[in-house]
Amino acid sequence: MLAASILLIFVSGAVLYWIRPHTRVWAGWLSTLPPLAVTVWQLNAALPLLSGAGAESGGKADLQNGAIIAEQYRWIESLGLELSFRLDGLSLLFGLIISGIGVAVALYTHYYLEDDDRQGYFYLSLFAFMASMLGLVWADNLLTLFVFWEGTSVTSYLLIGYSHRSAVARGGARNAFIVTAGGGLALLAGLVLLGQASGSYAISEIIARPGLTELDLYPAILILILVGAFSKSAQFPFHWWLPGAMAAPTPASAYLHSATMVKAGIYLLARLHPALSDHPLWLWALLLFGGTTMLLGAVFALRHSDMKALLAYATVSQLGVLTTLLAFRSEAALLAVVVGILSHALYKGPLFLVAGIVDHATGHRDLRMLGGLRRTLPVTSGIALLAALSMAGIPPLFGFVAKEALLESAYSAAEHGEAAGWLAFGAAAVTGAFFVAYSFTLLWEAFLRPAPSAETGNLTSNSPLKSGATPIHHPPAPPFVAAPLILVALGTFAPFVLKPLSRVFTPAAASIAAQPVQVYASLWHGFTPAFLTSLLAITVGIWLFLIRSRLRAFLSQLPDNLRGVFLFQRILDDLYALAQVTARFSQGYTLATQSGVVLLAASIPIVVALRQINLNDLFPSPLALPGAPETVLILMIGVSAYVTARVTSRLGAIISLGVVGVSVTLFYVFFSAPDLALTQLLIEVLTVVLLVLVFTKLPPDVRPAMQRWKQARNVLVALAAGAFGFFLVLFNSSDAMQAALSISDYFLHNAVPGGHGANVVNVILVDFRAIDTMGEITVLAIAALGGYALLNAPRVRLPSSAPSQSASDQPAGSEEANPVADTSRSNIDPPTDTEAH
Amino acid sequence: MPELYLRLLNRILTPLLLLLAIYLLLRGHNLPGGGFIAGLMAAAAFELQILSRGHDRVRRSIGPYLNSGIGLGLAIAICSGIAGLLNGVFFKGLWFDLHVPLLGELAVGTPVIFDLGVFLVVVSVATSYLLGLSRVSDTAAPIPDGAPSPELSDSFETDPAVVADDSSLRTER
Repeated sequence: MLAASILLIFVSGAVLYWIRPHTRVWAGWLSTLPPLAVTVWQLNAALPLLSGAGAESGGKADLQNGAIIAEQYRWIESLGLELSFRLDGLSLLFGLIISGIGVAVALYTHYYLEDDDRQGYFYLSLFAFMASMLGLVWADNLLTLFVFWEGTSVTSYLLIGYSHRSAVARGGARNAFIVTAGGGLALLAGLVLLGQASGSYAISEIIARPGLTELDLYPAILILILVGAFSKSAQFPFHWWLPGAMAAPTPASAYLHSATMVKAGIYLLARLHPALSDHPLWLWALLLFGGTTMLLGAVFALRHSDMKALLAYATVSQLGVLTTLLAFRSEAALLAVVVGILSHALYKGPLFLVAGIVDHATGHRDLRMLGGLRRTLPVTSGIALLAALSMAGIPPLFGFVAKEALLESAYSAAEHGEAAGWLAFGAAAVTGAFFVAYSFTLLWEAFLRPAPSAETGNLTSNSPLKSGATPIHHPPAPPFVAAPLILVALGTFAPFVLKPLSRVFTPAAASIAAQPVQVYASLWHGFTPAFLTSLLAITVGIWLFLIRSRLRAFLSQLPDNLRGVFLFQRILDDLYALAQVTARFSQGYTLATQSGVVLLAASIPIVVALRQINLNDLFPSPLALPGAPETVLILMIGVSAYVTARVTSRLGAIISLGVVGVSVTLFYVFFSAPDLALTQLLIEVLTVVLLVLVFTKLPPDVRPAMQRWKQARNVLVALAAGAFGFFLVLFNSSDAMQAALSISDYFLHNAVPGGHGANVVNVILVDFRAIDTMGEITVLAIAALGGYALLNAPRVRLPSSAPSQSASDQPAGSEEANPVADTSRSNIDPPTDTEAH
Repeated sequence: MPELYLRLLNRILTPLLLLLAIYLLLRGHNLPGGGFIAGLMAAAAFELQILSRGHDRVRRSIGPYLNSGIGLGLAIAICSGIAGLLNGVFFKGLWFDLHVPLLGELAVGTPVIFDLGVFLVVVSVATSYLLGLSRVSDTAAPIPDGAPSPELSDSFETDPAVVADDSSLRTER
C-alpha cells in the first residue's frame, strides 16, 4: 500500500497534466483527491495507534516502536538494492504532513495559477515532488531513501524554475539545485559508508545496532551525512539558498520550502538519531550549526520587507531550532522536535499561502507597498492574524506549545549543568524575541496598520498608499482562501486537543529515540522558568518591533559581499573560469586537437599494460595465418584507409572511408556475426549518405596545406589509436583473459531457457544487459537534444565582433551573459535561448 | 529538384524498407535483427525520402512526431522495466505465450516490448539528425568557387525559417 500510494500520486500528477487543468473549473477539487486519499489511508492504517489507550500508558511498546506497516520489493538484486518502505511513528507524522498539506496546496494551486496554461506542468512537478517526498519519509533502506532524496532535489529545481523566462527564477533554481544536489553527493558517500560500516542498508536494522559511534569511520560518516542534511535543510552555511528559492510560485514555496522538503534534512537527522547521536561530535555540530542558523535566520528576517523573503528567513530560523533540539538526547527535546515540526507546518504553510493571496489580489507582496488589508481582505487577514500569532508563540496558540516545549527541554538540559543546554536556552530565548518581532511586523504592516501616514520611516514619499488600504485588483475566490483556512483552523484547534494528538506525537518521538517515551506536550506548564523566559521574550520582541525601522537600517548597512549568495556566485564564477582554462587546454578549438587528446589519453592504459605483460602470451600459438578471403579484406582496408588519408577531394575521402567500413562489415560476415554486420552496414550507409549530403554543400576547402609538424602529430596520434585497438583486441582474445573473464558461455546457455530468444546478441541487448541498453538509448536521446539545439539554434554571427566575444567569455551560467542577445540584426526573443546553456 | 529516378526509386523502396524494418524488429529476438537495426533501417527509409522529396516535405509529414517518438520510446522501455518489477526484479523479463490465429504460438515478453522502445528512440533520433543536418546543409548555401573564406560568416545570420520553427516548438512545450 505504501508503494501503491506513491505510485498513485505520481500517476495522478500525469493525469492532471493531461486534463489541462487551467481549462477546468473543477480541476482544483479533483487535484485534492489523491493526497486526501493517501491521508485518509494513513490515518486508517494508523488507527490502532491512534485509538489505542496504549499510547498513553506507554505499555504498547511494540506498537510505539515498531512499524505499523512494512513492505519490501526487490529492485536490482545484483546490487543489493531493494525498495523497502516502513511506516512508523516518525514517518507517519511526516507522511500526514506531506499528504495533508498537499491537499491544501493542490487546491490552492489551481486558483493561484488560474489562466496559466502551464498549470498542468506545475501540477505534474508538484505531484512528482509529493511522491518523492512520501518515498523519502517512508523508505526503510538507505539507498531507497537516497533515490527519493534526489527526486525531491530535482522536482524542487523544476518548481523553483517554473517561471523559466525570469533570470531570477533560473538563478534561484540553479543555486538551490547545486547546493542540495552537491549535499546529496556527500550524503550518498555518507550513507554508503554507514551501510558498509554497519553491515546493513536497512534503516531499521542500523538504528537497532549499538556501538556505531565507536567506529573509526564514525566522524567521516557523521560529517558527510551532516553536509547532506544541512544543505537540504538550509542550515548555516548553506542557509542562503532558501531565500533564493522564493522565486518559485507561492504554492511551491509554501509546500516545499516551508512544510516539507526543507524538513527532509531534519527527518534524516531524526531518523538516524538513535544510531549516531551518542557522541559529543554530534551534540556540538548540531548545536553550533543549528544555533547559528536559528539566530541568523531570526535576525535577518527583520531586514526584509518582501513577505516571502521574511517568511523564508523565519523558516531558516525554525529549521535551526529543530536542528538544535536534535542535538540533545532527552525525551523532552525529541518531543519538542515533533511538536515543532507539526506546528511550524501548520502556521508557516498558511502564512505563505496568505502571502500568495495578497500578491495575487493586490499585485504586491512588499510590506512597504501594503497596508490596511484587514478592511479589503477580511478573511485572509483573520488567517494571517492567527498564523502570525502562532508564529510569535503567543498563548494559547500552537506555536506557543512548541516554544514552551523548546524552552522546557533546553532549560532541563541546562539545569543538569550542561553547557550545551545553557547555550541552546540562551539562543532559543533570543530567537523567540525575534520571532515575536517579525511576526508583529508582518501582521501590522500588511494587515492592521490603519493608514500609512501613521507610520513614518517605512514609507517612501512616492508610495501608492495615499488612501489607507492597498487597492485590490482581483478579489480571491472562496476556495483560494479555503486552503490556508483549513490549515490555520487545524493549527488553532490543535492546542486544545493535545491529548489525542499525543497519540501521534509520542510514537513519533519514540521512533526518534528508538525506545518508548513518557513525555507529553501540554499547553500549560505552570509558572516555570521556561514560561517566564517566554514572557520576557514576548516583551523584548514587542520592543524590537517598535524599534524595527532602526534595526532594518542597521541590518541593511551590512556589506553585501558577506552574504552567502554573493560568495557562492564568486565561487561559481571562479569555477567557470577554471573550466574554461582546462577546456582550452584539453579540448582545443579544432576537431583534430580534440580527438587527438582523447585518443592519446585512451592509449595510455595500453602503454602501462604492455609494460607488465609478456607479449608472447598475447599471441595465440600456433600463430594462424589469415586465409585468402581475409587477406583480401585486410588489403582492401589498408589501401582504402591510405587513400582516405591522402586523397584531396572530400567526396573521395568519404567514399574510401565507406569502403573501409564495408570491408569491416564483411569481416563480421566471415566470422558469423550477422547482427553486427547488419548494424555496421546500416551505419555505414547512413553516415556516407549523410556526409555526402553535408560535405557537397560546404564551400571548397581553400585552406593552405597543413604544416609538416601537424601532419607528423596527426600520424602519431593515428598510430597510437590504432595500437590501442590492436592491443585491446589481443588482450581480450588472449587465453588468460578468456579463461578468467569470459561470460560468453553463460549467455549462450541461458539465452533460450532464460531469455526466450535464439538470437543471443539481441537477448543480451534487451534482457541480460537491458539496463545498459536503457542507459544507451537515454544517452542517444540526450545527444538528440544536444543535436537539436545545435542544428536548430538561430545561427549566430561567428565571433568576429568584440561584443559577442566578450559575452562568450563570461560564465555560461551568469544570467545576463547571453551571446545570442548580441547578434546583430536578429529579432529573437533572447531569454528563450539561454536554455541551451 | 531531385532526379526523377530517385523519386521513382523512393516510391518503390520506402514502403519496402519500412516493411523490412518492422520485419527485422519482430524477428529480432530469434534471428538477426532487433530494435537497433530496425531503427537504423527505418531511418534509412526516411533518408531516402529526404533525398528524393526534400527535407521540408518530410519534416512536415513526420517532423512533429520525432520528439514525441524519443519520449515515447524511452517511456516504453522504462515501463517494460517496471513491468519486470511486478515479477520481482527491475527489468526481469515477463513472458506470455499467445495463441494468434494464422501465426500460431507467439511468445510475447517485456524484452520484446523493450526492443520496441529501443526501435522508437533509434529511429526518432537518427531521423531528427538527418532532418536537421539536411536543413543546415541547405541553408549554408554553396558559395561560388574561389570565394574567400571570410564570406562564410554571411551564411551564419539568423535564418527566419529556423526562428519561426523554434518559436512554434517552444509554445508547444
